[in-house]
Amino acid sequence: MTERAIPWPMMALAVVGFAYMLLPIFVVVLAGLTAGEFLTFPPEGLSLRWVAAFLQSEKYLSAFFFSFRLALMTMVVATILGTAAALFLARSDVVGKAALRAFFLSPVVLPGVVVGFALFAFFIYSGMGLSRTIWGLWIGHILYSTPYVIGTVGAALAAYDDSLEEAARSLGASPWRAFRKVTLPNISQGIQAGSIFAFIVSFGQFEVSLFLSAPNAEPLPIAMYNSLRYQFDPSAAAAGIFAITLVIASVLLTNRLVNIRRLLERQQGQ
Amino acid sequence: MTRKLITPTRRTLLKGGAAAALSAPFINHAWAQDVTYDGEVFDAGGATLNIGEWGGGWEEFVRAALVDQFEEDFNCTVNWDSSFPWFPKFVTQGPQDPVFDICNWNLPNLTQTKQAGDYFLTTDEVRENVPNAANCWEFAFASGTGITWAYMPYVYAYRTDIEGGPVDSFRAFWEERFAGKRGTYGTENGLMHAFFMATAREFGEDQYDMQAAFAALEEAMPMKVSEFTFNMLSLIERGEVDIAVHIEGEALSLQRKGVPMDVWLWDSRPILTQTKTISRYADPMQKRLAFALMNRTLSPEFLNAFGDEFLWRPTNSEARITQVLAEAGVENTPEAVEAFWVPDWDFFVENKLEITDRLNRIFGL
Repeated sequence: MTERAIPWPMMALAVVGFAYMLLPIFVVVLAGLTAGEFLTFPPEGLSLRWVAAFLQSEKYLSAFFFSFRLALMTMVVATILGTAAALFLARSDVVGKAALRAFFLSPVVLPGVVVGFALFAFFIYSGMGLSRTIWGLWIGHILYSTPYVIGTVGAALAAYDDSLEEAARSLGASPWRAFRKVTLPNISQGIQAGSIFAFIVSFGQFEVSLFLSAPNAEPLPIAMYNSLRYQFDPSAAAAGIFAITLVIASVLLTNRLVNIRRLLERQQGQ
Repeated sequence: MTRKLITPTRRTLLKGGAAAALSAPFINHAWAQDVTYDGEVFDAGGATLNIGEWGGGWEEFVRAALVDQFEEDFNCTVNWDSSFPWFPKFVTQGPQDPVFDICNWNLPNLTQTKQAGDYFLTTDEVRENVPNAANCWEFAFASGTGITWAYMPYVYAYRTDIEGGPVDSFRAFWEERFAGKRGTYGTENGLMHAFFMATAREFGEDQYDMQAAFAALEEAMPMKVSEFTFNMLSLIERGEVDIAVHIEGEALSLQRKGVPMDVWLWDSRPILTQTKTISRYADPMQKRLAFALMNRTLSPEFLNAFGDEFLWRPTNSEARITQVLAEAGVENTPEAVEAFWVPDWDFFVENKLEITDRLNRIFGL
């Protein structure tokens, strides 16, 4: 198979686009490895002192692991809710479906600060005891992350041929079995992508957390912001290195798991 | 407004009971106003004290130097919230259900909240229940609510490896040698607010002369506008800024790292303050704990340790000035603190929209 030639202007644009996206990561990594006293770029020499400072900081480590747990919990719920919502939007004939779709996606469209403050005010008004608690923060993160799952699963469903499931049903499969054995494997890529998005969005969420975070339970972005506000030392960038590493690792791990599963499926098929 | 605090007696208990029957939702709040504290350690029975305080390295130090021991001594838990800003949280939750029992502030934000409702005990009410407040300088009570426990004079931080000699006047900021290398802050930063008021006082009739300040700041453009003071230090260190609005202790911390720079105290002597408030409608135990924590905050032991770490000056006359500042001639005496003043933040808050809008236009934001 011969590769199609890509026009050089497109190639140049792609290179610029990749560089544009990767530049902040490059800056964060180098800034976190500086030997200097402040968070600056270019770094003043290279050193692991701020990485060590991050690893020795009880505040940063607890924030990192809290964000990790929060993102995992958010990912699980957002994936279930988002997948269900995407299925509903794709398959129901309810009146005002377009408006409903826009409604489901609205948390992403609204500024995070607005969503965070609106939830904060609602929690206080409702008297449910959720204001400035971990559960309230979790709800906020789910609300903000679920639209990403709806978007990716919705795209997977749009590309999915419904007649496959109909065929399974006509051959005697129950609705649940047809969904589990036919539809779910076909849209699994979209679900996986959505869940990764949900995890990443939750892990890096700042604006919603600003109003909803609970005392003594600071997510990593808030801890980094506080560090920049009161110290401006490069430990925030060092924390950023670990955050980037975690996100990349989660993406790679997911890809790896998907590939292993495919391999197993192929072996079973042989 | 001054309110006499009283210790509950049998008569007040009976009165309180009758009032509670008529106004059940306010029972705790009626009680809360009658809490007193005499400086003794007491058992809070595992109560939780909600505090709003700065985070990062500040939190790590204050927890180690003050809060951990406080929790142990008073058998309580401190819920520490560092997700600033406090103002919307207070206003959303309302005065009757305070988001924090005790809260640390910069004065512009505190003034804004104070003007929005009956959130805090007055200075007099706090003073009566915080024994260590008796040793504080008078400007510690300038906010009218809460007590200022630490302060720093505003300064110019400037590089000493530039031509023209040391900075020796407020107007030096406008000298030609600093063109394009002046540093100040965004319009939400308290240092910018203070710089604005001090500029009005220097170039106009008094601190209220806004037009004079606008004109002078336009003259100073272009300026590098930073959001945080520590970011400004990095700009000075790198030589991107040669002179900047700053505060004494943080600026001197850069000098201690060997950077060729110095500070010059503004001759009008305004100060940046750290002020703690106690919420009027906090529950009784929380309010009593808040008094106790305020008292510990104002103790010379904590203020000495805090000054050594962050170079803030104490408002308690019994505390000492940290060695670095003392070597530079700083004293904690009536004569030394006489000239300090706190900008009129009530005026600033009342005119904040106009000031912010105009400054943003000057900065090209």
